Amino acid sequence: MKKIGFTLLFFLFMSQTVHADFDVQEAINVAKPGKVVHIPAGRYQGNFIVTKPITLQGEEGTELIGERDNPTLRIENTANVTVENITLSGKNKAIVASTVDGLELRKLQIKDVHTGVHIQSSKNVHIHDINVTGIEGHYSQKGNGVAVFKGEDITIEGNTIEQVQDGIYIEEVKHIVVQRNKVTSGRYGTHFMYTSDAEALFNTYDQNVTGLMIMMTTNIFLENNIVANHFDFNGYGMLLYDVQQAKIKHNTIKNNRTGVAMQKSANIQIETNDFQMNQTAIEGTKVSDDTMASRNNFTGNILTARSDKQGFQLVSNYYDDYSGIDLKDNGIGDIPYVAVSSFGQWMVRQPVYQYFVASPSVILLTSLDQQINKIEKNMLVDNTPKLAMKHENEKNKMNVVQMLLGLFLTLSSLWLWKRGITE
Amino acid sequence: MKKWIMIVMLCCGVLMGCSEKTYEPRDIISETDVCKICNMSIVHNAYAGQIALKNGDYEIFDDIGCLMEYIKANGEDEIGAAYIKDAAKNEWIDVFKAVYVYNKDYWTPMNYGVVALDSKEAAQEWMTTEGEGQLLAYKDLHDFKWGIHK
Repeated sequence: MKKIGFTLLFFLFMSQTVHADFDVQEAINVAKPGKVVHIPAGRYQGNFIVTKPITLQGEEGTELIGERDNPTLRIENTANVTVENITLSGKNKAIVASTVDGLELRKLQIKDVHTGVHIQSSKNVHIHDINVTGIEGHYSQKGNGVAVFKGEDITIEGNTIEQVQDGIYIEEVKHIVVQRNKVTSGRYGTHFMYTSDAEALFNTYDQNVTGLMIMMTTNIFLENNIVANHFDFNGYGMLLYDVQQAKIKHNTIKNNRTGVAMQKSANIQIETNDFQMNQTAIEGTKVSDDTMASRNNFTGNILTARSDKQGFQLVSNYYDDYSGIDLKDNGIGDIPYVAVSSFGQWMVRQPVYQYFVASPSVILLTSLDQQINKIEKNMLVDNTPKLAMKHENEKNKMNVVQMLLGLFLTLSSLWLWKRGITE
Repeated sequence: MKKWIMIVMLCCGVLMGCSEKTYEPRDIISETDVCKICNMSIVHNAYAGQIALKNGDYEIFDDIGCLMEYIKANGEDEIGAAYIKDAAKNEWIDVFKAVYVYNKDYWTPMNYGVVALDSKEAAQEWMTTEGEGQLLAYKDLHDFKWGIHK
């Protein structure tokens, strides 16, 4: 029994430490530009570097393991490099690419690393279908899943990233598309800084501190994302700081401490989104007059909107706490919806007040607000609130068969009754 | 005699009570601390700043640029003390006495490229390893154009 145990332990130990004979770096060194370097299954320890246009292609079971604190794979000063179907691990960064024109990373598994992919001063980069799983611990001790610094024409799509600091970190990038990614359990799902012409589409951000953190960015389009469960003390579904020109459309924003927050931003359009069960749906401070939330659905939120004195526009949204009527039958409430709340304004100044949000005194205060604020004309007022999420005008229809049947039954009843009293 | 000693001790106590209040820096708590200006959580402690207000409150910042934006908006009257992390030693130093070095390629959380050090010698040493930069004093930060520079 003891021998069997030792034998099993021997194989278990050896399976973790045996390294394949194939020399990866030598194969890279001898490959001609444009060629494919096929790396057979096996675990290869080292710090590898690519400086020419080649494809590194692994197969199931191909794993590169970085040594010491150096990156597992470096790609430098080259063009048209593809890395695919490989597992990477190491203490620090898995992949570092610098000054590369044309880079494709696909079907990679990156695990137990400080930082997944770090790209700088590169353009025409396509990262897709990679999985990054960070190390255990607090996000302040980790790096980012995919980070791009100073780049142009970048596409990041279909990736799954978890347990890192920022899932996707973008800094000083021109023209980037981030789509169909799933980021969970990090600090920020996607973090844009100093970026222009950006799109984030069909992504899922769940249980990070903040789903989308957008700072000092110009011209960004956020559409069809699911941003949910960001309910920490400092959590936001989306936070826009010093952003110029943004369109936020068709997103599902639910169960966040604050759904969308805008600070020091201008020309933000928030359209046709579903805000569900957020503590506060939209918050705006120091935003420009042209910032507008229109045709959104607000359901189950504790506070619909809060702002500083500048406010922002609310136009034709649906609010589940609106109590007006529609005598004109056009789907629009006859009296304005006023979102101003004294408590909401206090919460902007002192976020710690959020812990009293559903207390009896706050509920009473909000009820009083709703009575008093009916005279509010400008700030956080929607003059055309929708009465239903989807308004459909029902035309009066006549069912002839039903009508004739009803008439027949009525006349029959009358005849039977008359006959009964005359007999 | 005892009565006089008591009076002297009482006076000393009153005078000590009236002496200038000290404002010590507090530790950064990465789980909950966010920058007062930009809302970023503080994960790069080597660049963090803080202001101890005279009312006992603390305001935390992720970058010297955000700290200066706060001072610009609120003035210095209510500030008891202001601290910034020494980029080389990761220790709190006085914002008003620190020596600053600017280089557009130095990375900081807001990418403003300004780091703080405790002396000119330390700044020179910093530049020998991290690249040449422009030396600045606290007064220069008021007119500094915060943002990324091409």
